[in-house]
Amino acid sequence: MRILLSSICLFLVWGCASYPKKNNLEARPTKSEYATLNPYFSDTSKDYLYKANLSLYKKEFSGLLIVKKLGAAHHRVAFTTEIGNKIFDLTFIDEDFKVNYILNKMDRKPIINLLKNDFGLLMKERCQIRNTYGLNNDTVYETESQKKKFYYYLSEKGKLKKIVQSNRTKAQLTILFPKVNGEQADRIEVIHQDIDLTISLKAI
Amino acid sequence: MHRFSFYLEGRPAPRLSFPLNKKYGSPAILVFFVLFATLALGQTKMSATESEALKAKVKSLANNTRTITSDFTQYKHLDFLSNDIESSGKLAFRAPDQVKWQYVKPYAYSIVFKNQTLYIDDEGNKSNIDVSGNKLFERLNHLIAASISGDMFDAEQFDMSFFNDSGKSLVHFMPKDPQFSEFISAFHITFNELGEVERVKMIEPSGDFTLIVFSNRKTNQPLSDAHFAQ
Repeated sequence: MRILLSSICLFLVWGCASYPKKNNLEARPTKSEYATLNPYFSDTSKDYLYKANLSLYKKEFSGLLIVKKLGAAHHRVAFTTEIGNKIFDLTFIDEDFKVNYILNKMDRKPIINLLKNDFGLLMKERCQIRNTYGLNNDTVYETESQKKKFYYYLSEKGKLKKIVQSNRTKAQLTILFPKVNGEQADRIEVIHQDIDLTISLKAI
Repeated sequence: MHRFSFYLEGRPAPRLSFPLNKKYGSPAILVFFVLFATLALGQTKMSATESEALKAKVKSLANNTRTITSDFTQYKHLDFLSNDIESSGKLAFRAPDQVKWQYVKPYAYSIVFKNQTLYIDDEGNKSNIDVSGNKLFERLNHLIAASISGDMFDAEQFDMSFFNDSGKSLVHFMPKDPQFSEFISAFHITFNELGEVERVKMIEPSGDFTLIVFSNRKTNQPLSDAHFAQ
């Protein structure tokens, strides 16, 4: 009985542990400053084009993701089918967000909130660093926005490898950059931990 | 009308660089500019006789077309991009309504419309979508088949305008059904002198468009089921 109680207590304590603690991140000295953490959509002269594959509860969808940086912290993100029909077209300016177009069938608040969250995070270049951690040779920067915490994993060479969005204790969304060429992310994986949704992007 | 069409064709609309209402405000100047815009466009409205002749020519050709194969280049224009997104591939059509679009560059993706089903091959990942009973899809499939053969002169479905355009025929089809015009506000189809479709431009309500240019077209060559297999 005592062992069972201890196990429950341990589970509760561990369950409530913060994301850095759970993921063995070691605290390092922090300079609380604004920094460019994600450079992958930062070139205004480029049209960013990705073949996109979405898997939502085992259903597969595909299309093209098109991104254009139009100014400082100003991005346009559109999604079309391979044949060219537009599915949605969004504008992100700083913390503002606008739906320029979305298919009637997708014009639902939960879908729009999800697009705003995922693509808003993917487009965000500059953030204020709140805490700094280390994990092996990676440096992990913690940032905060609208009561959510974000962890940017940078390699020894300063390349962004991963972004994790977490609530107080656990990851809700992970964005991986498994293949990077200079400041161009050739492959991007957006993985939701709270719903069965994965978005794979391949630069074309 | 002409200047409006000019704008929709994705070229810059003619702009007057001085104030008309002051020094150059005479109606003659305005007429000159309208005339200039029309000439620059090379586009004139067809007479009723000409448009009837075009319809007859295209319908007769469509009735005698059993198969089409063609290469195509697709340009997706989004106003905010610096360049149109270009893709290319091959098209196969077999009357009455089997269509295969095969994108080769910059990605391998093909889609077959056949027997109330949409067959997709996305870089080797195959899937099908049963669309039987989906009225919108049935109409879309019919429309695609009709726009390839050119025979979509259906006054119940479209408002139509006919133009002569630099020796070619250009028809603007405006869908009447609001369910359809949510996606596409107009199709602009260019026919060559034989009545074959050379270009299809699908314009979205925002003004963004998809332009498909056909080349190397071959008609009535035997196409087996294998051409439409996925």
